[in-house]
Amino acid sequence: MKTILETEKELSAGMAAIRVLLKVLEKSNSKTIQELREQLIDAIAILRTCDCPITAINSGSELFLRFITLTALDTQPFEECKKIMLDRGNTFYERLVESRQIIAQKASIYLYGGQTVLTHSRSRVVLAAMKRAAEKKCRFRVYITQSSPDTSGAEMVQNLRDLGIPCTMILDSAMGYIMESVDFVMVGAEGVCQSGGIINKIGTYQMALCAKALNKRFLVLAETFKFTQTFPLNNRDLEPEYKFTHSMLQKDTAEQHPLVDYTPPELINLFITDIGILPPTAVADELLKLYL
Amino acid sequence: MATSDSQLNSSSPTNDENDFKINKSVAHFAKELSNASYRSHKSASEVVFRTVASLKDVIMNDQWTTAKELIDLIHMNGDHLMEADPSETCTSNMIKRILHIIREEYIEDLESKTVEKDTSNSLKKTMTSERRTKDIDYSKIVPTLKTSIIDHINEFVTELETCKENIIQQAKQHLHANEIIMTLGYSKLVEDFLKKAAETRTFEVIVAAGVPLLEGHDMASNLSKANIQTTLISDAAIFAMMSRVNKVIIGTNAVMASGGLRAYTGSHTLALAANYYSIPVIVLVPLYKLCPMEKDAFEANNYFHKVMAPTQGIVNPDDASLADRCTIINPVFDYVPPELVTLFISDRGGNAPSYFYRYISELYHPADHNLNL
Repeated sequence: MKTILETEKELSAGMAAIRVLLKVLEKSNSKTIQELREQLIDAIAILRTCDCPITAINSGSELFLRFITLTALDTQPFEECKKIMLDRGNTFYERLVESRQIIAQKASIYLYGGQTVLTHSRSRVVLAAMKRAAEKKCRFRVYITQSSPDTSGAEMVQNLRDLGIPCTMILDSAMGYIMESVDFVMVGAEGVCQSGGIINKIGTYQMALCAKALNKRFLVLAETFKFTQTFPLNNRDLEPEYKFTHSMLQKDTAEQHPLVDYTPPELINLFITDIGILPPTAVADELLKLYL
Repeated sequence: MATSDSQLNSSSPTNDENDFKINKSVAHFAKELSNASYRSHKSASEVVFRTVASLKDVIMNDQWTTAKELIDLIHMNGDHLMEADPSETCTSNMIKRILHIIREEYIEDLESKTVEKDTSNSLKKTMTSERRTKDIDYSKIVPTLKTSIIDHINEFVTELETCKENIIQQAKQHLHANEIIMTLGYSKLVEDFLKKAAETRTFEVIVAAGVPLLEGHDMASNLSKANIQTTLISDAAIFAMMSRVNKVIIGTNAVMASGGLRAYTGSHTLALAANYYSIPVIVLVPLYKLCPMEKDAFEANNYFHKVMAPTQGIVNPDDASLADRCTIINPVFDYVPPELVTLFISDRGGNAPSYFYRYISELYHPADHNLNL
């Protein structure tokens, strides 16, 4: 399973997790829903040990389990049920794949040309949105933070340059300096919490604080499969497994740099998702609709 | 989404000349809308009723057989209306509401009244439903469609007729004895709201005149005639007077999807002053003013702002030569961000700005949010 995940590097971790779970479902030889559920839970536990950001894996698998339960409620005979699950699972997955393009399209109303945008780290969905806007011949300027510790910002800069979008890489510490010259901030998210806050690459919280201080809009582009039922109140509340990779957890965490941080909903203006443009309060509503 | 619909509209090979002729009543109304003197005197509710009436005429009297054809027809007639006055949001809102009614009735009639009416997207639907809202086939013939659409529109018109009254009825819940209320410019709805509350309690109203049109003068005179203690101030005195105010109550031209306002110029100043003293800002808004688009979607087309002639309230016509020497900008609207609004009072009760996205998913179909996209 690890290997599948590794070959799918271009895919977001959450999507990869869902894909792996679909494979498990396909190959599973279980006879009852209960057994199948247990097998999936085992598979999720293995996925969690892999050395990549776990936030999206968590939300993806959580959603997948819920999806299994919802399907199981609909039909009775197990064999038939499994067929339906696979069938629905595939359309579900296809729809998740589409969601990035839907977001890119919805985000286009913010990138109509002439703006200066600040973004953090590398986000596939932000990249897709900017790509779409650039294809529509909209001229805008992007500042990207270098984003320590993995300097993923550099990769983003390269991607944007390839698309012919004027962009500048800045130091993480220059966030405050550059904020006054941008029109708004646009970031992705690894996970969206029930409170309407986000879990994202370390430095996002700082960027949101800077944006708030200078009254700049802070927009988050996130697919709905990243919505999770967690409710952290601050950064210390965040589970260690979100903050560190599995291998980092084996060592003393006090000596390690956290990889993600939590940005509270007060600092976020709007979410641009595949189901529409939503205020942070709407996240809880969507999750309630799903789990009630 | 909307793109595919409008593309089909313009490039469809079956595009017969007769099929795509602008309806007479739509053309008539569009002509009036594009007339400047009508524009400056019309009220939003009048525009709303006339848009719905003319689109109803399209549904009743024009030739169509399937919902798809009807949607295209409404799109085309709607475009004609919107072009007549692009800055008027109520027309486009009503077009989108009618489109939503058509889609809803079509699905309901097609599946003989068993499915849920909710056409909005949600995370749960992404997971459970096999059918996607956006690729529903609208080209099946449903014989009962016309009558059910007309019935639904009649219901909708009744809702529109009562919505103002519903807002005014809430006045007593929000206004208390001996309060000081501040408002800006003129809004018939705010006037009636205050008058309704004045039937049972006494309070004081401070009216900011509202340059450039100075419609606050009418407001002040109407309120004082109703025996409400009224003070008229200039816009420049808003901040100075704010400290003694208990509530700010204003009307608005439109509400954006995020809960931001497109309101009469000076409203942002007023809201900021209120915010400084932590005074609640209450906005009265009939739901037909709720626009499913974001401010940015308008800005891309430069339709958000509207400017008037400098001689309308900024410079004296005798000093018109001043305009040769400097630039004079006379905007009609302000954008007020949702954080500055405490409460919206609509015909369905009081709501926080963050709640409006829910009304949007309830009242509009996702494919219709932005007709120009």
